[in-house]
Formats: sequence, structure tokens, C-alpha cells
Amino acid sequence: MHINYWKELKKNTFGKVGLAMLISVVIIAGSSPLLARYDPGEPSHSALKPPSIEHWLGTNDVGQDIWSRLVYGARNTLLVALGVGLFTTLISTVAGASAALVGGLYERIIMRMVDALIAIPAFIVIILVAAYVLPNVWTLIFLISILTWQGGARIVRAQTLSLKERMHVYAARTFGANKLYISTQHIIPDLGPILFAVFIHSATRGVFMEAGLAFLGIADISTSSWGLMMHHALRFYYLDVWKWWLLPTGLALSVTIMAFVFIGHAFETAMDPRLRVMEREDWQC
Amino acid sequence: MKNKNIAIATLVSVLLVSSLVGLSIASSGSETAKAGEVIYTIADSTGDWGYPSPHAHYPRGPGYVRMSFIFDTLVWKDTQGFVPALATDWEYLEDENAYLFHLRKDVTWHDGEKFTAEDVSFTFNYTKEHPSWWVDLKSVKQVEVLDEYTVKIYLKEPYAPFLNDDAGTLAILPKHIWQDVKNPSEFVNERALIGTGPFKLVDYSKAHGTYLYEAYENYYLGKPAIDRLKFVKVSEEMAPTALMRGEVNATNIPPETVEEVNGKGFTVINQSGNWNAKLMINHEKEPMTSKEFRHALAYAINRTELLEIAQRGHAIRGSPGLLSPNSPYYNPNIVKYEYNPQRAKDILESQGYRLKDGYYWKEGEILELELITAPRFGFERVAEIIARQLGEAGIKVSVRSLEWKTLDSRVINQQFDLAVSGHGGIGGDPSILNKVILGKFGYSANYTKNESLNQLLEAHLREMDAEKRKEIVREIQKIYAEELPALTLYYPKWYWGHDGSVDIYYTLGGIARGIPIPLNKLAFMEYQAKVEAPTPTATEAPIPGFEPAISLPVLITVAYLIKRRRKH
Repeated sequence: MHINYWKELKKNTFGKVGLAMLISVVIIAGSSPLLARYDPGEPSHSALKPPSIEHWLGTNDVGQDIWSRLVYGARNTLLVALGVGLFTTLISTVAGASAALVGGLYERIIMRMVDALIAIPAFIVIILVAAYVLPNVWTLIFLISILTWQGGARIVRAQTLSLKERMHVYAARTFGANKLYISTQHIIPDLGPILFAVFIHSATRGVFMEAGLAFLGIADISTSSWGLMMHHALRFYYLDVWKWWLLPTGLALSVTIMAFVFIGHAFETAMDPRLRVMEREDWQC
Repeated sequence: MKNKNIAIATLVSVLLVSSLVGLSIASSGSETAKAGEVIYTIADSTGDWGYPSPHAHYPRGPGYVRMSFIFDTLVWKDTQGFVPALATDWEYLEDENAYLFHLRKDVTWHDGEKFTAEDVSFTFNYTKEHPSWWVDLKSVKQVEVLDEYTVKIYLKEPYAPFLNDDAGTLAILPKHIWQDVKNPSEFVNERALIGTGPFKLVDYSKAHGTYLYEAYENYYLGKPAIDRLKFVKVSEEMAPTALMRGEVNATNIPPETVEEVNGKGFTVINQSGNWNAKLMINHEKEPMTSKEFRHALAYAINRTELLEIAQRGHAIRGSPGLLSPNSPYYNPNIVKYEYNPQRAKDILESQGYRLKDGYYWKEGEILELELITAPRFGFERVAEIIARQLGEAGIKVSVRSLEWKTLDSRVINQQFDLAVSGHGGIGGDPSILNKVILGKFGYSANYTKNESLNQLLEAHLREMDAEKRKEIVREIQKIYAEELPALTLYYPKWYWGHDGSVDIYYTLGGIARGIPIPLNKLAFMEYQAKVEAPTPTATEAPIPGFEPAISLPVLITVAYLIKRRRKH
């Protein structure tokens, strides 16, 4: 009955690769003051220099060390992933679970709100809002979260509805447990795996959207963001600099997003027995 | 089975894409040149600058230049200054406050009609009724036709910029066509392009951003040295490669590629001082209302370092008087605001600010300003560095990059603290000062608080004596620098690379009202240009029918595969 998710994740090749990639990004972000050799914002080196002993990835158009910016950019990316992941999961859980448990008019209002939000293109709304407020990393986390929680809320509601009808919940109810007791003791713990999946999914989307927005120039231009680095690098792609400016940045971004996607995929496989069977068959043929 | 499906799907998509590519190549090669024809191709990163009639092109320099190939003005400019165009000579009659123009007698419109003084008089009256973005003719009282080839233009009051801004910019229209046109900006058929200029438009594509002109055989200065002139859209980054491959003959190139382009035997010309990047300061908002505070900002900004980093040295340091050292009106004896962070700090402290944790505070509030800009001309980098420099002097600055039009409207409505923006035209007639100091535009200071500055700005327009006018303009720069409603940061250097088949050049003071683009139509005249053998692009026409020949079988294969798949 009970699945050891951690064990399943470790068994899965995708899971292992994803975890390894994510851990390396986390290590790089955590030790960036040690890895970076210069202040990432310091524009005091000569501009557009190729890689050398002093500057491992050369310098950008204003003479900042690209390697230092890349390393510090990992922090920004992980902050966005964590922030958007946590915040979106929180809103999804509160909205989805409460809708399923309370029901009635409240549920209908919440779910119609979800439907309405699905129709709104988050990307464009954020671009519009950024014309009025400074799009720093916290504003972006907040905006991405409040515009993209609807999918998670639907999943959480569906799962809660199904959990509500399980035998052990019925049993608890016959023993006189109230709604609060049932939700904290039975439903929320059983939602765990779903919430983790929602978290991973939102984190991926958060990283992707932040990079996309920064690439369009919607970002606090004083931060070290990978999307912003690509935004600037693209202005000079006619020079050789793309090899050590655009390419490593794009790779770093891809590795991070792939890490999240792989973990999410491995986790889904672990959670869904049918997927596990299919995967085994795939290997066999 | 599943794998087979995937394989077929992949094959089909690959074939489909390749056939589409083949077709698009085939269609782009359809416009082939006649043998021996000389085509001159110019790259432009924007492409579309509007329908090239005098009233329908976009109100920006490149739009005017595209129109100027078709239409002529009374006077024109080259590298040395004014030269005759439709007028052979002209004089200012001081006692009558009028300009007398003697017109050329051998000019014909593109449709064969004769050009006369009636057309000139009609154009002046028509433009007074329908002013264009370039010319409004507010200074003109009336136009008198003395005989078929002589006109006298009376001014309301002396107006020094008349020759440059009006006679040298106003495109003369054919009366027999435009007299029935009620709404000139919507008059966009081929009759709207009947001019007297050296070229006629053959094709214009708004979607592709291309223009194709052919030489006008009966042009009064003789036939142009090239047969066809072509503008194509090429991104800024790709332009140097296109030039070096021989796909275009001339283009604007990024400074980083100058060495490479030069090394391959191409000619590179550059110009600066016609355009300036400036820090706009909202002088209507506290604490920037204080002149001393604005001085503190100027002392805290290291303009030399700024241009070294943000422009990688490809610029001239800004003069606080707005006009560049290259301008004949430049005044070197003004306050220079040499980088002096200590002086900035002294000013702030005398205004009651106290340093705490690296930033200045006053009455419990931190001194924090917002700096807005747009992602163009490398302004984001400029803003970043200014924020850093001001931060070092204790002024906290947050930077925001907005969309270009949003930036303009926020500056116009004074909803900002600081802004990085820029404008051109400062290499031409100093009447630009009135526009960018008093005017209400996204790039102008909108500053009318200083009475003596206002009076001087009015006075220089009325001063017909060139030397005296220079004196007034110098005084204007002095007061402007002292008042500092905006700080000119640098004058970028702009580079054009070309293959030398036509000697393109920068016009003295810019084309017409000061457009800093080296595409003066006179450079393309036979008597000036030394045209060499046809460039490879003109003869290297793709073999017609070759691509369709490949594409067709591919398409048939795709259709067959799709049909076979359906059967399964």
C-alpha cells in the first residue's frame, strides 16, 4: 500500500540524473562567493574579452566577469524556483483543498475563479504590470505565483474529493471526527505526494517564466539573472562572444529546468503504478 | 509499429520543411536584375519607414531620406554646406524681410510636366494648411510668384533657421497633382510619388520593409550613376556579414566590427556629435527642483568612465551645454561638471542630507531615486552604470527598463525621477535647442523656468547675422549648463561601412533638418560618384526554376506519404 517515494526515485534513472543535476546547481549557488572570482556587478574589466586565466568565461559588453555572473545567476534561479514553487503550492492547496472540503457555493466561486484565471495569459499580464511596478525578483515570484496557481488547485481539489470518500475517512467520520480533524490528520498528509508534484511543476514553470521575462527585458536590471544575461548576449551574437556568454548561460538554464522536469517525471512514475509498469515494458522491448 | 509511425512522421515533417524553404528561396529570387544594370543595395535594420511621399513617411530621419530620393527642395546641402537644388540662387532681402529664389528652368516632374514657380508657391501654401512633422512654415507670411521661375517668400519676422529648416527641408510638390488632395497623409497611390528627384519608386513593401528605386533619366543634374537603388531589411547584427559577403553595398555597422570590415577592404566612415544620450532630470519633482541638487547629480556621474564602459569608448564625452564640440555653435567656456564625488557629497550635506549606512538620509527618509530607460542604443547598460556611480556617492538609485513609448510618455507627463533618453538633430541648425529645451517631448527638458534663457532662445531665431547668432547660442549653452534640466552624457560614434562603389558621405549639419545618415542623394549622381563595374550581387542571379524543380518532387513525396499513412 505505502510507497517509499525516495526509494522509487532513486531506482529511476531519470530521477537519479535529475537529482544529480539539481544538487550540483544547488552547490554552485551555495558556494558562489567562493567560486566567483569577482563581484558580478563590477564593470571594471576590459569589455568583450575571450576566456583567459583571469576570466574563465571572458567578460561581457560592460566588462563584467561572465563566470561570476553565471555563478551568481544560479542563486537567482533557485530563489525563483523555490519561491514560486512554495507560494504556488500554498495557494493551490488552500484553494483546492478548501473548495473540496467546504463545497457548496464557496466551491463554485473558487472553481469559477480558477476557470477565469486559466483564460488569462500570465506572461502578458506580467509584462503589463511590469510597466508600473519595479519587476524585482520578489515581485516576479509573487506575480508568477498568483497568476499560475489555478492548475495546481484543480489537481489538489480532485485528489481531495477522492480522498474524502476513502474508507478510512468514512471510518474516522463514524467515530465522530470533525472536518478539521479529518483534514489535518487524514487528508493533508495523504496529499503529500500530489503537493510535491505541484511544487516541482510550479518551480519549473517559475524558472522558465522568469528567464523568459528577463530575456524580454522584464527584470530588475541590476540582478544577475540568466535570462537577462542572454538578453544582453544576444545583442552581440555577431561576435565570437556567444560561445562563452550565450552558450554556457543557455546550458545552465537548460540543466536546471531539465533537473526539475526529470525529478518531476521520476516522481510521477513512482506515484502512478500504471506508469511504472509501462516503463518496465518499454525497457523490455 | 509505434516506432514506424514516428519515423514516418519525422520524415514527413523534414520533407515538408525543406520543401517550404526551397519555395521561399525560389520566390525571393524572382526579382532578378537586367544584365549590366548597376544596383546599389543598402541594409536597414528597421526596414519599413512608411510610404515615401512627403506626407506619408514616418516622421523620423530614415523616412525622410527615403522620400528625399524622389522629391527635391529649393536648396540642399553637401559636405561643404548649402548647394543649389531647385533654386539656382537665392538672397535675403533685409528691408523686405523676404527671401528671393531664382528657380531652375530645365526641371521636369516624373510625369513629364514642367516645374514652375507655381508649384513652389502652391507647396508653401499647401504646407501652411497641412503642416508636416518636419516643416510647419509658421514663420512664412506669404509667397509671391514674380515670374515663371522666380518666387519671393515673405517672412512674418526675421527667422534665421529659414534656409535650413524650411527651404532646405520642404519637399516641393507638383501642383497639378496635389491641388485636389484633401487628406495628404492618406494619399498613398503612385501619383503621390511624382517628384523631381533623381529616383522613381518601383516597389515598396511594408511587410518586408523593402524599397526599390530606379534612376530618373531626365534628372536636371544628369542621370544618376546607378540604375537601381534598393533598401533591404537586415538585422543590425547581421549587417556587417551581409556587407562582407557582398549582399549589400552599404550599411550601418556596430563599432565592434569596424576593424574586421576595414580589414576586408571596405570603407568605414563615422560621425558623432549629431546625436546625444542624456540624463533627463525631473525638475518639477522634489528634491530635483533644486538646481544645486541637480549639480550634485552631475558631479557624481563620471561621464568618461560611463562612455568607456557602456559605449566601449565609441563616443565623445557629453558637454553640459548640449551641443557637441563638433558643432560650429559649441561653447567650450561653460561649467563642465568634472567628476567630483566629494563635491556632490558637500552639496548634499549642505542641503541637510546625512550619510548613514552608505546612503544619504534626510528627515528619516532615505534619498532614493528611480531611473527609467528603454532597451535601445545600449541605454540599459548606461542606466546600470549611472545607478552604480550615484550609489557610490550615497544616492540610492533603482533602475527600470520600460518599453520605448512608455518611457516617452512618462517623461512627457513628468512621472519620473531620472531617465536616460536621447535625440539627434544637434548637428544641424541650433533651432533644435528650442525644441529640446522648451518642448514637451519624450526627449526634451520641458524647462521654461529661466526667463533669460527663454528670451535668448527666442532671440537667436530672429538674429539674421550669423556671427551674432553664434554669440547668442553660446550664451544659451552657458545658462542651460548652469540650470541643468538635463545632462548630456555622451555623443555616440556611428559607423557606416560601404564597398566604395559609390562614395557616400555625411552631409554637413545632417541631411535637411540634421539627419545624421550618410545617404545624401547627391552622392549617387554621375558627376560625383565614381561608379565601378557592377557589383557581384547584381549579376549573381539565382537560376530561375531551379528551386521549384526541387520543391515539386519533394511536395509530391510528402503528399504520397501522407496518403499512405491514412490507409493504415
